[in-house]
Parts: sequence; structure tokens; C-alpha cells
Amino acid sequence: MRWIRATRRGPRRGDGAMRASLAPALLLAVAALGCHTSLSPPIPAEHGDDAPPRRGGTLRLATFKDIRGLDPAGPTEGVANQAIHAIFAGLVDFDDRGRVVPDLADRWEIAEGGRVYRFTLHEGVRMHDGEELTADDVKRSVERALHKTTPDPSASYFEGIAGYAAYAEGTAEHLDGVVVEGRYVVTFRLEEPDATFLSVLAGPTLRPVCRSAGDRYVDTWQPCGAGPFKLAPGGWRRGASLRLVRHDGYFRAGLPYLDAVEWTYNMQQLTQRFRFEAGELDFLHEISQADQTRFAGDPRWRPFGSTDADTTLYGESMNTTMPPFDNVEVRRAVAAAIDREHYRLLKPAYVTPLDQPIPPGIPGYASDDVRCRRGQRYDYAAALEHMRKAGFPYDPATGRGGWPYPIDYVVYDQGLLIYTAQLLQQELAKIGLRIELRLVSWQTFLTLQHRRGGAAMSPGNWAMDYPDPSSFFEPLFTTRAIGPESTDNTAFYSNPRFDDLVARARGELDETQREALYREAGAILCDEAPWAFTFSYHFVSERQPYVRGPLQHPVWYVDPTRTWIDRSDRLAEPPAGSESP
Amino acid sequence: MHGRAKAGVRLFSNRSARLGGAVIAALLAFALLGPFAARHGPLESDFVHGLGADGVPVGPSADFPLGADRLLRDEFARLAYAGRVSLFIAVLATLIATALGALVGIVSGWFEGARARVPWAVLAGVAGAIAALAEGRAGLAVLVIVAAGLVAVRRPSGPLLDVDGWLMRLADVLLAFPFLLLVMAIGASLDRTTAVTIFLTLGATGWLGIARVLRAKTMQVRSLGYVEASRALGQSTAWVMLKHVLPNVAGPLIVTATVLVAQMIIADSVLSYLGVGISPPTPTWGRMLFEGADDYLVAPWLVAAPAGAILLAVWGFNMLGEGLRDALDPRDA
Repeated sequence: MRWIRATRRGPRRGDGAMRASLAPALLLAVAALGCHTSLSPPIPAEHGDDAPPRRGGTLRLATFKDIRGLDPAGPTEGVANQAIHAIFAGLVDFDDRGRVVPDLADRWEIAEGGRVYRFTLHEGVRMHDGEELTADDVKRSVERALHKTTPDPSASYFEGIAGYAAYAEGTAEHLDGVVVEGRYVVTFRLEEPDATFLSVLAGPTLRPVCRSAGDRYVDTWQPCGAGPFKLAPGGWRRGASLRLVRHDGYFRAGLPYLDAVEWTYNMQQLTQRFRFEAGELDFLHEISQADQTRFAGDPRWRPFGSTDADTTLYGESMNTTMPPFDNVEVRRAVAAAIDREHYRLLKPAYVTPLDQPIPPGIPGYASDDVRCRRGQRYDYAAALEHMRKAGFPYDPATGRGGWPYPIDYVVYDQGLLIYTAQLLQQELAKIGLRIELRLVSWQTFLTLQHRRGGAAMSPGNWAMDYPDPSSFFEPLFTTRAIGPESTDNTAFYSNPRFDDLVARARGELDETQREALYREAGAILCDEAPWAFTFSYHFVSERQPYVRGPLQHPVWYVDPTRTWIDRSDRLAEPPAGSESP
Repeated sequence: MHGRAKAGVRLFSNRSARLGGAVIAALLAFALLGPFAARHGPLESDFVHGLGADGVPVGPSADFPLGADRLLRDEFARLAYAGRVSLFIAVLATLIATALGALVGIVSGWFEGARARVPWAVLAGVAGAIAALAEGRAGLAVLVIVAAGLVAVRRPSGPLLDVDGWLMRLADVLLAFPFLLLVMAIGASLDRTTAVTIFLTLGATGWLGIARVLRAKTMQVRSLGYVEASRALGQSTAWVMLKHVLPNVAGPLIVTATVLVAQMIIADSVLSYLGVGISPPTPTWGRMLFEGADDYLVAPWLVAAPAGAILLAVWGFNMLGEGLRDALDPRDA
């Protein structure tokens, strides 16, 4: 090249700088050309399938999300619940098929037509502080979680407990419906039969906490429970990582096998994938579509991939108290304007287009013949008609009309939602709704979305707390779920007819009748569209072969209680209880 | 030959300048004309042709010269459109930073070692502008500054201050923060980021280097004979600065500003890559780099295209800056 020859005639200032600045460019080009396109091989286990579990080692996990707290009584979400489940054992729990099974309670009896649940605790359970768990601890933990000063948006799950109203208002000092009948026997009395009570109890909120938690919620409390893992000293670095270590006094002898579990938060998907391939993460739960294709297409990795059931609901949440979504016709227009198939194309291995409020992996998902008959299907002509009825007619030919103001759409800048948000912009522009994306952090997103007037529109997604329609209907769409400070009813949707149907379904012990009531309630949601339901989502995971034993869980996503590491080099690590660097 | 003409000849005979200028001209042409040449709009998904038979976005083809991105949008159209956005932001931010840097540098260098009377109106104006900026009202801040300047001309009374000391300590404090870190912190704190907030942020934080250079140069120039003579004739300080100092420091100012454009392109790309730049769907090169990163093994062009554009732009402006330095500084030629 001419400029290279020029340098041989003698130094020129510009030429020297030119070479210097070209060097990184060339390096980058070489690196780009030379980057390998095949995956690194899996790191094998040391023993065969029938080998007994080995103790020790640290399981390393990561997510691009973050957690707000570790108190089961406080506001939580899917990511935090993974750790909360590991720290706090419940009276009952979900097994690996989502069924309610005994945990801290050895057994339970149901009496008085479903109004009384009597639990007998396992004797000799040691909490993380060394104290023995008794029925008093259960009652204290329940009262702490349901006290009016506790900012738990899912308290509405527990309104059926006798005396809840008086206790929540502060007129009663104790919750009458929770009765200690002996050192190891505690009874829950309900106002009405509740088909969901055991499932709700298996959730995080009412899990027993140590006496150090006191009688009232304070957000500075150090988490302490009776679960298989406990918080390592200084183990939670907010916004960065969490380290749990084995609770040696765990009541199930010999468990857990791991010395520790570590989560790294706010780690980008691409970083996770590289660290997983390098053996620095043991389990990959947030995989891009491109990487999923590569893992699935590699015979070395194929045996270590798994697909969960569709249990997460996605939609576009419209705040029914803010314009223009206080107009039901605008919401109907949005629901009809979205072509769900376009969403699927973004991540085909993960996304199932959805036209109803229940994901396919949940009992109550309606088959073809009974699903929403109106509302939640792509119908462009109908969407334009709804805009006309709303008073904002839009002419696609001229681009005139529609809602005259831009609409804020609050979203965080990670994962799938930032792409669905841009698709939504395109779809709604065709009916005269201008969406402006407002990118915020995960924490800010949660704050804005859950606060009245915080977000006119935002992506809604909800992972089940337990496998039942009520796990979606009650927190997301009932009036009583709207708390004064925070709510999961991000649409602030309120419909007495819907509330009544959901309440009746909850008390209905006959499965057929329950299903019919939920179907009717679902039809209201389809029609009035507080959300435009868009798709359900199933996780696809990869694990290194040396990660043995059960790990994925249908409710908690991961449950490391019986997971073990089959690599000697990974077992020779710092002892449990040591702080992470 | 006249000095400026000589500089022009030296500039055109300089290989770095020619190459840098050509690269920048090519990028500008691509940014301006590319969207017209593309068959798709930069913000439109093509759900029919953008998807390949294997269910993934199509690669480079006649219809999609640089393939389709994850949202099945034309990468070529987006790259060109992003060029407009990224170059527009970089140039405007540089203009702001240059103006601020020149003002601070010349004033600071001129008053070095002496105390100067600062009109109360100017002090009030600066305080008001800072308050307006804190509220995110950049337009109001500019109005306040202009109004304060007009008032100061009529009412020049105020305290005697070590202007150079105050300005340079301010620069020291800001220089203590890494530029990109400072810009990211401001970007993250903004409630909503647009092209305007981005170039204002970059401009408001990018003037420090220029101020330092021009301060030193002004200290040399102020002792020259014709400057002394101009002062002796009773011309106002502002006039002397504008008429005699500014033209004499224009050379280093132009060189530094040209190189600063390259820094602004990088800064804008970093902001966009980290998600505190302009909100999607408006494309920027940094944002495209971020969006392509997930798929870089199966669709490397989604990363290579914006990375190449950033590389070329930065390289081009650096080369042009080098050439300008040679051309405007005849002693080293």
C-alpha cells in the first residue's frame, strides 16, 4: 500500500500515528476473523450415573436481574424467591412436580369442611440461630408477615384467615385464625373453605423466621430461617452477589450436599454464556436464542439441556387509571392490534403465543374450544374499530388520527422485553398509538410499575407462585391486590364481577365448578383487557455435566437442596461460612 | 503566500489529513444517502423477507445488504441512519465542548496571576444555569446565561475574584473523574435520554482538555507586543480576547476539537452500549453493537458493521486531527 511504502522514505508524523491507530483495528479484525465458532466442550463428571452424592463445593449461578430483599414477608419476585426458598423452609412445600408436600410440618389434617387446617411440626427442627422451631414461631412469623406495617403486596392471598381483617386494620393485637395448640401443633382457621390455601402456604410469605426477626417487619433484618442454606456473613452484596452456605443443622439429615450457593446479579446474558462455557458458572438459565440454537445443535451439550413447562405469563400491562387506558376501547384496540406470532419470532425456542390469561403449563389453561372467544387475538380491522369507538379514529392511509399524545412505556434494558417493546411500538403505531420507551434499571422498573400512576404502560410478566389459575388472577387483577404503596396489579384493574368470580372459585372445592368459574373470570379479562396477553414463556437451561442431582424446579426455578458437584477440583474450595472475595 | 493559504496547501499535501478526510467524507455520504438507498426503513421489521428458512434472521443479501437484525430490521438502513445520529451527536457535543473550553481557557489564561472583577449578574447567571440544568431544563439554562451576559454588560460591578484559580480548580475536580465514568453517571441519572440530552451531557463534560490547552496558549499570546499595544489603546478585555487572542489560539483549538469528535463518538457508543444512550428504537452505532452481541457467533456481521463504523469514524477524525496539527503548526512540518 502506498502509505506503507512512504514510511520507508523516512519518518513522517502523520504516518506514524496512522500506523499506531491502525494497529488496534487490524488486531480487532484478526480477532473477529479468528474467533472460534464452536462451543467449548462440557466439563465432564468424574463418576457414573449411579454414584452416590458427594458433599462440598459451591454452586455458581447468575442472572441479569437483581433482588430487592430476602425477607419472605417483604416484596419479592422470582429471582429473590430462589434464595428465599433456600433460606426459609415452609410448613409445606412444592415437590418437583408442583404438588404440595409436607416440609417443616410432618403432616396436616383438614377439618370442618375445609375451614380448619391443623399442622403437626417436625420435632427438633433447628433454625439458623440454633433455636428450635415451635408452633409459637409459626404464629409469630405469620403475624409478622401479615401485620399492617409489612409492605407485602401479596397479603391479599391470606385474607381468608379468620380474624385477618381486624388484625390488618390494627383493631386486634393478634391474628385469631392462627392458634397454637401445643409446642408442635398449629392450626389455621379460615373464614371460608379455600381450595388454594395449602398452595398459598407453600409460597414464601408465611415461612417461619428466627426470633431475631421480631414481631414486626424491618428491612434491615438479617435473613434467618430453617432452610437448607443460610446467609454467609456479609454474603449479600446489594446489586452484585449473594452467597449462601450450608445450614449444618438442617432438619433433613445429610442435606444439603453443597457447601455453598452463589448468585451473581446484574450479569449480562452474553457474559453468563461465556462464563458458563469457561466453567465459571455451573448452570445457565438465561440463554439467548442464538446460543440456545448452538447448544441444542451440539451433540456434546444436548444431554445437559432441559426445557421447563410454560408457567410464565407475559403481556402488555395497561394502567386502567391513566389515559388513554382508562378507556376500555383503547385497551381492546391494543389487545387486537398485536400479532402474537411476531413475538414468537423473536425467540422461537422459548415463546408460545398466547391469547388468554393462563399459560399452557398451568392447570386451567383452556384448550382451543373454550379459550377467550373475543378480545385477545390479532384482528387489525377490529383494532381500528375499537379506536374509533374510543373516540380516537385512526386512518392508516394518511397516518392521521389516533391518540394525540406519546405514551410512556417503562421497560428495563435486558433480555427479551426490550425487543418486544420495540415490536409493540411498531404494532401500535399502526392504530395511532405512539409509544415512547423509557429505559430504566430493574429496580426502578419495579418501583414505577408497582406504584399508582408510575407507568401508563409496561411489560407485564408473572411467574406462578403455585400451579393454579388463582396464582395469576388474584395478585394481578383483583381489586384487593391493590395495596396503598405497592401492588402486583400493575394495571390497577378493578371489576367487582371479576373479583366475585375469583373469590367464589377460591372457596369452591369442586374442581369442575372451580374451573368453570375461572373460565368465566378469564373471559372478562380477555374482553376488558387490563393486559394484552401476548405469550407464555418456558425456560431453557444448560448445566455442566458435573452438576448432579435435581436442580431445576417448576415453582422455584432452582432448588439446590439435593444438588451436588461431581468434580474433586471443585470440592476443594474455601470452607462453608467463609465470605466470598 | 498568505499564511492561511500555506496551511491549506500543507493540509492537502498531508497524507493523514487526506486519508482521514476521505474516510469522514465517505461516512458522511453513507449516513446521508444510505437510508435512501436501503430498501427498508431503519425502524421497520420485515416479517416476510427478514426471516430465513431456518427461522433465524436472514444474512447479507441483495435485499438486506448487511442482513437483518433480531427484530428483522434492515441492518444496512439502520447502520446508515445510526451514522446520522452518532455523527450528529458527536459533532454537536464537540461544538459545545469547544465553545465552553475556549471560553474557560482564554478567560483563565488571560486572568492568570491577577484578580478580576466578576459582575454579580454573571455569578447569578452561572448559579441559575446550574439550577436549571439540575432540573433538566437546558434551554432555560442557555437563556439564563444570555440574560446574565446582557445584564453584565450594563452593570459590570461585582467582586474581585481569582478567576483563573476558580476555573482551574473546577477543571481539576472534573478531571478527577474519568470522562466516561462521569458521562455514564450523568446519563444514568437522566430520567429520559434523547439526542439533545446526550450531546448536552457530552458537551458539558468534554471541555476540560481544550480549556487546559487554550489557557496555556493564551498565557503566551497575552504578552505579545500587539496584544499589549491593543490594551494600551484602551480596547476592552472582551474585544482583545475576541480580536487578538482567539485567532492566535485557533490552530490548537481546531486540532483538539477534531480529535475530540473521535472521543465523542466513542463516548456516545459507550453510553448506547451500556443502555444509557438514546432509547430504542432509534439506532446508534453503540446500541447496534450491543444488540448484535448476543448473536455475534451466528451473525457476526451484526457486530462487525457497527464496530467497523465506529472504528473508521474514530480513526478518520484522529487522522484528520493529525493532519491539521501538521498543517497549522509549520515549525514542526
